[in-house]
Amino acid sequence: MSQPQRVLQARGCAAGQFEGEMVVSRQPFGFWQGLDPETGVVIDKRHDLCGVSIKGKAFVFPYGRGSTGTPGIFLEAVRNGCAPSAIINVKSEPMIIMCALLAEAFFKVAIPIVDGLDVPAQEALRTGDRVRIDGATGRVEILGRELAGSQAVVKE
Amino acid sequence: MCCGRRMTGGMGENMYLTDEEQGVLDGQRGEPQRLALRVLVKLGEACGAERMVEIASAHLVASSYQIAGEAGIEIYSQLVAQGARVRVRTTSDPGSIDFARWREFKTPEQYAARQVKIAALLDQMGVIPTWTCTPYTTFNVPRFGDHLGWSESSAVVFVNSVIGARTNRLAAYVDLCAALTGRVPCFGLHLSENRRGEILFELTPDLAANFADHYFPALGYLVGQTVGDKVPVIVGLPGATFDQLKAFGAASAASGSVALYHMVGITPEARSLEEACGGRVPAERIVVGQREIAGIMEQMGAAADGPVDVVGIGCPHASIDQMRRYAALLDGKQVHSDTQLWVCTNVVVEEMARKMGYVAIIERAGAKLMVGTCHNDCPLGAWGFRRLVTDSGKFAYYTPTTVGTQCVFASTEACIQAAIAGKVERS
Repeated sequence: MSQPQRVLQARGCAAGQFEGEMVVSRQPFGFWQGLDPETGVVIDKRHDLCGVSIKGKAFVFPYGRGSTGTPGIFLEAVRNGCAPSAIINVKSEPMIIMCALLAEAFFKVAIPIVDGLDVPAQEALRTGDRVRIDGATGRVEILGRELAGSQAVVKE
Repeated sequence: MCCGRRMTGGMGENMYLTDEEQGVLDGQRGEPQRLALRVLVKLGEACGAERMVEIASAHLVASSYQIAGEAGIEIYSQLVAQGARVRVRTTSDPGSIDFARWREFKTPEQYAARQVKIAALLDQMGVIPTWTCTPYTTFNVPRFGDHLGWSESSAVVFVNSVIGARTNRLAAYVDLCAALTGRVPCFGLHLSENRRGEILFELTPDLAANFADHYFPALGYLVGQTVGDKVPVIVGLPGATFDQLKAFGAASAASGSVALYHMVGITPEARSLEEACGGRVPAERIVVGQREIAGIMEQMGAAADGPVDVVGIGCPHASIDQMRRYAALLDGKQVHSDTQLWVCTNVVVEEMARKMGYVAIIERAGAKLMVGTCHNDCPLGAWGFRRLVTDSGKFAYYTPTTVGTQCVFASTEACIQAAIAGKVERS
């Protein structure tokens, strides 16, 4: 098991374990009309991740916004295997937490969600870095980049 | 406050649950209620609720196939097979088709069939098929202080702000969990301390004195964009109609996540600025003048003069007052042959408008009624629209993605004028 470069303590919002790559955005995100549930690609033309896939990734964004239809798209993505596999927010609004609860209730898929990291901690999260998340305890471990089987050190 | 018992360990350990609620979690009322209450209790725990609260009604947003998709059909089918029935009055949001006219709107047949399937499943659960985002005008009219389990952001913001009922912005399917159990976790806007105004918007006297009808959605858009999910307070408006409040709220809930606003002297929890803010000093004070309104309208839909494919009015669904207004503007006129003018409303308003002769006038002018759905909920790819004109802040926010068009935001009069001319002529 790879050793974390840095450990951050967040608040656990939805239980589950994740280890994998992060996709980081500094903009709020709305899943309804923001995500293509068939591919997991961001389709909101106003968003900085437009065209990027968040499928199977830890999706890092400040907070969710927009329609109450959010879980409609989110669960369709879960059903298609195209949803993000974990979420890190500055503040997880109930809408996002509801998505994870519903995914677990109706599709038996656990998507850990954590929030409450302070600004310096948020800024330590970089697209492409690997991360380990425990949604129950809120522990976030930054593992850095994996290059040819070795651990690359990310310059801060 | 609560007669329940504290549970120990696991599910609900941080919430008081009544014996009845504990029984539901133990499966005494069947699997759908057990599953539904489990979701609600977990939500309550994540959001710091101390208990559940009984609700007067529910409103479901995942009634449209566009939102529910195949995942929704799977969920509803599972619940229906387990005998799920709603326990409180529950209404449905717009669907993804006009059930009577879907062929006219070029909806693919297979797509329409999936929406019909959802309708049958909701029917089996006892949902009232209102197919509207304005259920609060008929069939599902909350009272001041009622606790509710509603979704549909434009309806949530209306019933909280204009009626003084209490609901959080529930998500799709969580609204159904509320309907199946008759309960929601008591947090957020169910509690008085979270209903106090936080950010103050003060209109300049000059703007207030010249506040046009279409400034309501524009101001809502600006407010939503500025406050996110905080509670805004608007001071300085001399008055507002039912439809203007509806338009303001819908825009604020689309561009931001506003679930409650106060307008001093207009909405029921804001008889004074002090009451609106619960005696506290607002964290921020923002002055809005003509320049700010012009700026936001530019952002909502600035476009050069040019042809228009489609005009969308009736978002949120048009009231009978709005139908009268549309009829008056269209009487004796003809919509341009290259342009579609679609008026979105619900079946109740349609029927009344028909009785009153408005439908005949609107249809004679070449406009179409789009009933029980809207531009945003319907698949419109077959039309190849490039440019939409609307008087709705919510349409302005969503249609660039949903319909894939450029958007021009304009007053209702200018929208109808553009439909007749087949183009926008900006003064």
